[in-house]
Amino acid sequence: MNDLRVLWLPLATATLAVVVLLLDVLSPPAHASRDRRRPVIGWVVVAGLVAIFAATFFIDSSGTAAFGAFRGGPWSTFLGRLFLAAGILGALGALDDVAERMPRRQGAYWLSFVVSLVGMTILPGARDLILVVVAFELVGVPLYVLAAYAKTDPPPDAPSSKGLASEAALKLYLVGATSSAITLFGLALLTGMAGTCRIDALAASPMTPLGAVGLLFVLAGVGYKIGMVPFHHWVPDTYQGASTPFVAFLSVAPKAAGMALLAVLFTFGLGSARATWMPPIALFAVLSMAVGNLLALPQTDLRRVLGYSGIAQMGYVLLALIAADAFGLGMTLFFLAGYVVTNMGAFLVVHTTARAGGGFGFEGLAGLSKRSPWLAASFLCFLLSLAGIPFVVGFWAKLYVFLAAWRAGLLGLVGVGIVLAVVGLFYYLRMLRAAYMTDAGELAPPKPALALRLAIILCLAGAVGIGLWPGPLVDDAMRAGHDLLDGRPMAATQQHDGKTELARR
Amino acid sequence: MNEHLLTLIVAAPTLAALVVMLLPAGARSAIRFTSLAGAAVSLAGSVVAFQTYDKVAAGLQRIESYPLVPSLGVRISFAMDGWTGPLLLLTGIIIFAGVLASWKLQTREREYFVLLLVLVSGVFGVFVSQDLLVFFLFYEIAVLPMYLLIGIWGASHAVPPAGPFRFVWKRFAVGDKEYAAMKLTLMLLIGSAAILVAIFALYVKSGAESFDLGHLAAAKYDDHLQIVLFPLLWLGFGTLAGVFPFHTWSPDGHASAPTAVSMLHAGVLMKLGAFGVMRVGMVLLPEGTRFWVPAVGAVAAVNVLYGAFCAMSQTDLKYIVAYSSVSHMGVVMLGAATLTTIGWDGAVFQMVAHGIMTGLFFALVGLVYERAHTRSIPKMGGFANVMPGVAAFFTLACLSSLGLPGTAGFVSEFMVFLGAWKSGHTMWAIPGVLGAFITAIYVLKATRAIFWGPGPSEQFHELTDARKTEWGALVILGTCLVVLGVWPRLLLDHIDPGSVAHLSNFLPFAVGAK
Repeated sequence: MNDLRVLWLPLATATLAVVVLLLDVLSPPAHASRDRRRPVIGWVVVAGLVAIFAATFFIDSSGTAAFGAFRGGPWSTFLGRLFLAAGILGALGALDDVAERMPRRQGAYWLSFVVSLVGMTILPGARDLILVVVAFELVGVPLYVLAAYAKTDPPPDAPSSKGLASEAALKLYLVGATSSAITLFGLALLTGMAGTCRIDALAASPMTPLGAVGLLFVLAGVGYKIGMVPFHHWVPDTYQGASTPFVAFLSVAPKAAGMALLAVLFTFGLGSARATWMPPIALFAVLSMAVGNLLALPQTDLRRVLGYSGIAQMGYVLLALIAADAFGLGMTLFFLAGYVVTNMGAFLVVHTTARAGGGFGFEGLAGLSKRSPWLAASFLCFLLSLAGIPFVVGFWAKLYVFLAAWRAGLLGLVGVGIVLAVVGLFYYLRMLRAAYMTDAGELAPPKPALALRLAIILCLAGAVGIGLWPGPLVDDAMRAGHDLLDGRPMAATQQHDGKTELARR
Repeated sequence: MNEHLLTLIVAAPTLAALVVMLLPAGARSAIRFTSLAGAAVSLAGSVVAFQTYDKVAAGLQRIESYPLVPSLGVRISFAMDGWTGPLLLLTGIIIFAGVLASWKLQTREREYFVLLLVLVSGVFGVFVSQDLLVFFLFYEIAVLPMYLLIGIWGASHAVPPAGPFRFVWKRFAVGDKEYAAMKLTLMLLIGSAAILVAIFALYVKSGAESFDLGHLAAAKYDDHLQIVLFPLLWLGFGTLAGVFPFHTWSPDGHASAPTAVSMLHAGVLMKLGAFGVMRVGMVLLPEGTRFWVPAVGAVAAVNVLYGAFCAMSQTDLKYIVAYSSVSHMGVVMLGAATLTTIGWDGAVFQMVAHGIMTGLFFALVGLVYERAHTRSIPKMGGFANVMPGVAAFFTLACLSSLGLPGTAGFVSEFMVFLGAWKSGHTMWAIPGVLGAFITAIYVLKATRAIFWGPGPSEQFHELTDARKTEWGALVILGTCLVVLGVWPRLLLDHIDPGSVAHLSNFLPFAVGAK
C-alpha cells in the first residue's frame, strides 16, 4: 500500500497512457469521407495531465518504495510537476497540429507522448541503476518516434522541408541509441566499482580509475541527451526537422530529465567524488555557453537560433549543478522550471508565425508587432526571459544560477557566463528587431487555434508571474534540493550498506 | 495612501501603461491623456514626498518594505533620503514634459507610451530602492525599453564616416537608428554585467544574507576586495553615466532617439549611472573609492574637456547636445570624486540642473527638427524671426549650460569646482573651468548660427513658433532652470543632509581633506 502511495505519480501517468491506448483502439476508425478527426484524444491527454498535476498538491508521496529502488518526496514531486507542466503545454501546443497533419495517427502520437512522460516521472525518484536505465529508455524511445512523426507530410507552411523530419528523427535516434549504449556501459563500470546497483551505495566505495572512466561515459551519454557541447550536434538539425510543437516539448522536458539524472547520480550518489566529475562538467559547461551563444549568432533559421540558445542555456544550468550543494540543486530546478515556460513559449510563437505563412526565417517574424501585438509582446517576454532580463523569470533563473556557482567558489565560470550572456543578448535582440522593427509586407496576422493560444498564454503567465513573484517557487525548489541531499545516507550507513552488498555478493 | 506614497510614485506610470495597453489603438486622445495622468500622479507624488521630507531629522524616511524572495533576503524596500527628493522631482518633471513633448506622435502611439511609462517606473524605482538587487532590477527596467523606443520611433540620418578609422566605420551603419539602439543596449548591458558581478561579491562577502543597502554598508569588506570591486561598479554604472571612454553609445543613441526619449535618457537615465556610482560604489566601498578616486577624477576631467571639444566640432544639432551631456556628466563625476560635502552637493545638484537643462534642449531641438526637417546647423539661420519663443528658451538653456550666474548650471558647477579645490586634488578644478569656457564657445556659436543673424532662407519662411502643449513643456522646464538658479536652497536643504550622511563612511578622509 505504501508502495502505491509513493509511486502514485508514475502509476497515474501510466494509467493515462493505458486510457489513451484504449481510446485509440476502441474509437471507430476515421470515416473515409471525414479526413479530419477531432483532437479528442489530445484533449483527454491534456485533461488527464492537468488532473494529475493538480493531484500532486494533495497527495504526499514521500518515502521509499520497491525495496528502496524508488524514493518519493519533494525532489521527485517538484520534477514530476515540471514534467507534467511541460507535458500539458506540449500537448496543448501540438493538439491542432497533430489533428491536422496526421489525423489518422493521433492515438499513437499521444500514446508515445504520455509514455515518455511516464519515464520522466520515474527518473528523478529512481535510486537503483537498473530502474534508472529503464526510465531513461522509456523517456527516450518514444521521442524518436515522435520526431519522425511528420515524415511523410511536409508542414503546410514550409513545403521545402519535406524529408527533414526523417533526417531529424534518424539523427535523434542514432545519437540517442549511441548515447544510451555509452551511458549503459558507464553505469556498468560504476556498478562494477561499487559492487551494487544502489545509487546511495555508490558513494561508499572509493573512486577507482575504472570508476572515473565509467563516470565520464555516463556524463557523455547524458550529455548527448541534454545537448551539452561537445555532444550537441544533433540539436539544431533535429529542431529544424521535427514538427515545431513537438520540438517545443523536446527542447525542455528530456533536457530537464537528463539534468535530474545528472543531479541524482553525481551530486547525490557520487557527491564524495566531486573532485573527479567537477572539472569535466565545468569544462563542458563553459564550452556549451560559448559554443551555443556564438554559433547562434550567424543562424538564419529561428529554430536553429533557439536550438543553439538552448545549448547555451544548458551550460548555465550545469553551472548551478556543479555547485553540488542544496542551494545549487534548488537553483538548477528553478532554472529548469523557468526554462520550460520560456523556451516552450518561444517555440510555440515561432510555430504560430510560421503557420501564418512566414516560414521559419527571421522574415517570418516581420511586422509581428503590427500583425498581432499580443503575440509580439509574449515573444518579447520569452526572449527577454531567455536573455535574462528582470521581471521575467529568466532573470531570476540566471541570477540564482550564477549566485549558486559563486557561492561554490566558481568565480571564473561566473565571469565567463555573464560575459557570454551579454553576447547572447545580441541574437535575442535580433529576433526582437525582426518582430518589432520591420514591415509586415504581405504577411497575414497569425490566428492560433484555441489550444495553441491557451498554451502561449499559460507560458506567458508563467514567465511573467514567476518573474514578478519568484519567492514561492524558489522556496519550493530549495526544499526539493534539500530533500535530495538530505536523503543522502550518512557515511556510516553508506559503509554498512556497501559491506552488506559486498557480503551478499 | 500616505504610507504608500513611494510605491504609488513608482507604480503609477506602470498602472497607466497597463490601462493604455487595454485601450483600442485608435483611441488617440485617451491614450495620451491616460499617459499624462500617470505621469501627473507620479509628479504630484514626487512633489508631496519632496515637500513632506523632514529636512531636520534627515536620514531614511517613508520606509516601505515587502518581501520578494524571503529565502535570499530580497525585499522590495523603498525609502527616501536627502538625495531622493530632488531626483524624484526631476524625474517627475521630465516625464511630464516628455509626455507633453510626444503629444503629436503619429505612429503606434499605444506601444510608445507603454514603453515610455514602464521605463519611467524603472527610473523612479532605482531612486527609491533600498535593496541592492531590487535597485538593479529597476535599473534594468529603465535601460531596456530604450532598445525598442529608439529602434522603432527613432530617426536615421546619414553620418559620413570620418577620422583615421573611417574604413572601419563604413562597415557599420553609423547614424542608423537600429545601429544606435543595438549599440546603446549592448554597451549598457555589458555595464550591467559588471554591476551584477559586484553585487554577487558584495552579497556573498557581507555574509548578511540580505541585499539591504544599509546592511551591505555596515559590513566590513577587506581592502583588497574593495579595490577589485570598485572599478566594476564605477565602470558598470559609469557606462550609463557616459564615463569616458564608455560614452560612445550616448551621442549616437541620443541623436537617433525620438524627442521625449532623448529628454528622458539624457535628462534622467544618465543620472541613474552617476547615482549608482555614488550611492552604491562609493558609499559601500569607501576603501576602494579612496584607492581609485584619483582615476575617477582624472577620467571625469577628461570627460568634461573631451565632451566639450567633440561638441564644438559637430554640425548636427542633436550631436552637439548629446556631446554636451557627456561633458556635463563629467562635472557630476568630478563632484563625486572630490569626496567632499560641497562637491557631492554640487554633483547631485548638477544631476537635477543638467537633467532639466538637457530636457529643455532636446525638447527644443525636437521642435526645430519637426518644423525645419533638418538638424544640420549650416543650413539654418535667423530662426528667431519666425520662432521667437523657441529662440528665447534655447538661449536660456544655453546660458544655463555655460554656467551663467542666475541659472541652475552656475550653482552646481560652482559647487563642484569649489569641492575640487577643497579636496586634495586642486588640479581638477582647472580642466573643469576650462570645460565651462569651451562650452560657452560652442553653445553660443550654435545659438547664433541657428537663431540669430540674418533672417531664415526662403525654404524656412513658413516655420511656426511652439504651440499649445509644446509651450507647456518649455515653460515648465525653463521656469525650473531659473528658479533653481535663483533659489538653490530649495534643493540644497535636502541634498546637503543626504551628502553628509552618505559621506560619513569617509569621515576621517573627508575631514582631512578640509
